[in-house]
Amino acid sequence: MEIIEKIKTNKSDDNLTEIQKICLHKLQASPLPNPKSELWRLSNKSKLSNFLDYSINEKDSKFDIPYPKNSQSTIRLIIGENCQIKLIEKNYSIQQLSEDELQKYIKEQITFFKQNENWSDLLNLSLSCKNNILGLKINGSKIPPIEIFSHASCNSLNAKTLVIFLEKNCAIELLQVNLGKENSSLSQSTFFCLKENSSINHGVVSYGENRSNLLNSLNVIQQKNSTYNLGSLHFKFNYARFEISIKQSAGNAKTNIKGMQITKKDEQISTYTKIEFNGPNGFLDQINKSLADDKSHAIFEGSIIVPKIAQRTDASQLSRNLLLSNLAQIDTKPQLEIIADDVKCKHGATISQLNEEELFYMRTRGITLTEASKLQLSSYFQEIISFIPISKDKWDLLDKLLNEN
Amino acid sequence: MVNENLVKDVVKEPYKYGFVTDIETEKIEKGLNEDIIKLISQKKEEPKFLLDFRLKAFKKWQKMKEPDWAALGYKKIDYQDIIYYSAPKQKEKISSLDEVDPKLLETFDKLGIPLTEQKKLTNVAVDAVFDSVSIATTFREELAEHGVIFCSISEAVKNHADLIEKYLGTVVPASDNYFAALNSAVFSDGSFVYIPKGVTCPMDLSSYFRINSGDSGQFERTLIIAEESSSVSYLEGCTAPMFDTNTLHAAVVELIALDDASIKYSTVQNWYAGDEEGIGGIFNFVTKRGKCLGKRSKISWSQVETGSAITWKYPSCLLLGEESVGEFYSVALTNNLQQADTGTKMIHIGPKTKSTIVSKGISAGNSKNSYRGLVKMGTKATGSRNYSQCDSMLIGDQASANTFPYIKSQQPNSEIEHEASTCRISEDQLFYLQSRGIEFEEAVSMMVSGFCRDVFNQLPMEFATEADKLLALKLEGSVG
Repeated sequence: MEIIEKIKTNKSDDNLTEIQKICLHKLQASPLPNPKSELWRLSNKSKLSNFLDYSINEKDSKFDIPYPKNSQSTIRLIIGENCQIKLIEKNYSIQQLSEDELQKYIKEQITFFKQNENWSDLLNLSLSCKNNILGLKINGSKIPPIEIFSHASCNSLNAKTLVIFLEKNCAIELLQVNLGKENSSLSQSTFFCLKENSSINHGVVSYGENRSNLLNSLNVIQQKNSTYNLGSLHFKFNYARFEISIKQSAGNAKTNIKGMQITKKDEQISTYTKIEFNGPNGFLDQINKSLADDKSHAIFEGSIIVPKIAQRTDASQLSRNLLLSNLAQIDTKPQLEIIADDVKCKHGATISQLNEEELFYMRTRGITLTEASKLQLSSYFQEIISFIPISKDKWDLLDKLLNEN
Repeated sequence: MVNENLVKDVVKEPYKYGFVTDIETEKIEKGLNEDIIKLISQKKEEPKFLLDFRLKAFKKWQKMKEPDWAALGYKKIDYQDIIYYSAPKQKEKISSLDEVDPKLLETFDKLGIPLTEQKKLTNVAVDAVFDSVSIATTFREELAEHGVIFCSISEAVKNHADLIEKYLGTVVPASDNYFAALNSAVFSDGSFVYIPKGVTCPMDLSSYFRINSGDSGQFERTLIIAEESSSVSYLEGCTAPMFDTNTLHAAVVELIALDDASIKYSTVQNWYAGDEEGIGGIFNFVTKRGKCLGKRSKISWSQVETGSAITWKYPSCLLLGEESVGEFYSVALTNNLQQADTGTKMIHIGPKTKSTIVSKGISAGNSKNSYRGLVKMGTKATGSRNYSQCDSMLIGDQASANTFPYIKSQQPNSEIEHEASTCRISEDQLFYLQSRGIEFEEAVSMMVSGFCRDVFNQLPMEFATEADKLLALKLEGSVG
């Protein structure tokens, strides 16, 4: 109940938007997610309550985050910075969604929300004020890559919301970066609507500092013949949840997901994915990697739902995990729920440590153990990192992962 | 395109064991309370420790809630509307098989279980349980020569109370889960096996469970103890008559394997599954667990699940001893409105433990077939390995197949591999077989049999043929 009180004291009823009111009302019915539900069972309760402890902050403090250098070839947007965008070029247009469009879409989404599955979204939309919601409508072709930033300031709880409509036949590359400052909590909800024949290479890079927390929720609706590619990386968060929900609303769409989470110290990072096929000929290729070291805990839960209508679905899901310390733990649960009979569905999961034979081979060639481990890890990371768009030259992600503690 | 109706017809087969034996039985009144438990205990002339065990379990059960996490939907069970003790009336003490009611012998004969020793064609000792009570156990003397104890658990309570007191409830504690607690409070009979040190059981042991009355639940309890360097293969079969009502079956099986011992436990479960509209059928809620206590001990579960309206069953292995091995081989076939939520738990506690899981699910009709399994590597399970494979086959577009593997590791120096796939009867393969002159029905049967081969290979001889026949029966029928 505390969080609701906090929102209410932070803002009087009159200052709340309609969406905030609706979500707050729903949140009142379930102030916290059910800790016994499958989606929240393994979530660290004290870390979640720590997430909610910080005071709500609607205005960002002046940026003290060193963003990588901006280049002219990319469009950079920062949620919360009162940015007005209206880019109408010859080949493409990027415009802000009107208030009405935004309201209508979000309200429609809320009607599908379920208590435990969308608790993070409800919290986000209860917290997000107008300034912190960015809605975009993207149309056309040859669109330059887009970078969108969300961040949380020190000692505060920030909420950022992103809504993107990708119009027909449109193709984009978009990198979303979530940054957590020291002792901060970031609630990020993203809604994508991919119209027919559109395609997106979506990258999500989330990394924090000491004791930063993240609730990151991603909701994607794919219409016919759309392609959604997601490369994601989460690391350096005391507590982070990445919840992905993808709906192929009429089948005939392609989804590729490559995600990775890296936990150290006593961190807990989890990924939950739910992919629903609501039509025939859907395709999914998903791989999720986790690496857990020190006393940390990495969790992956993925479900693939293939109802009767989704004939000829081809879905595969792989969970690969590296457990590097005696005190760390990994939980993984890939799930298949299938009713259609003419489908190809498979999943796999492995948990192990670095391959000893490979390490031995390298050491016999004079490579030190540390170097050999790094080499192995870099190949493990590279598969995912190379799938994240735009990031390559700017972020040195591999270097960050291998050399930062 | 395969003719869907043909495939549907193929999996139809009437239930052969649905007859009721008209025999006088002794039943107690419906309902469950402390007095009923005391009455059961009194009827069975049990020592005090067992009554205390039952009452304690009952108290725990009262505080527990029926689990709802399984992917099963069934109407609420009224636990006060069940008769918790029912036994065929017979003479006080049976000294030989000749004194067993001939009707009972006839029943088991009809089920293909030879109780009369002159019919002992196969080298299998049988303990037959009819409703709540063990009727007869064969080959006792031969087994006794080797020091093997094979009797009903009621007899074991009287004659080997020390063993029962020492081991009962050590693998599946009374408070383990809702149905185990219920069983601990009201269990009526079951089998007890004790294999002494160094003995390889000279023949397969088998229990045959038969539910006869429609309003009484069956709550049997099986306890198998394999001492150091011993080994045993145990088979279990189950059938029930057709009733419009649902009958509750909540059993507990506990296995204990000490150093270098091995236990192989095989089940062919063919309880009545209800009719095509889902009326009637057995609710099968079973807790089966084995404890590999000793070094290099091995417990292997193999099961063929074709019956029951509802199956809730997770035969598990606790791998405590160093280098102990757990295995689980399962075929679960569901048809019509059957629902099965079954799988296994492999808990690796000791170092260098190994486990293998092979699960094949076949869902036809409007049925629901879920695999739910847990593989856990504890902090001390260094050098342990697990391999799991779960395949599902879907027949028809109304059936559902789910896979829920839970995998947890706390030990970096261990390996877990899990794979699962879903497929249907391949049209190409069907076409190939048919073009070679093999009938459609036989082709489907061959392919299903091939799909299950990995598991059937693990079944003991007697069961492998029975299982093959059982699947073939379910798959044969009106196709030609």
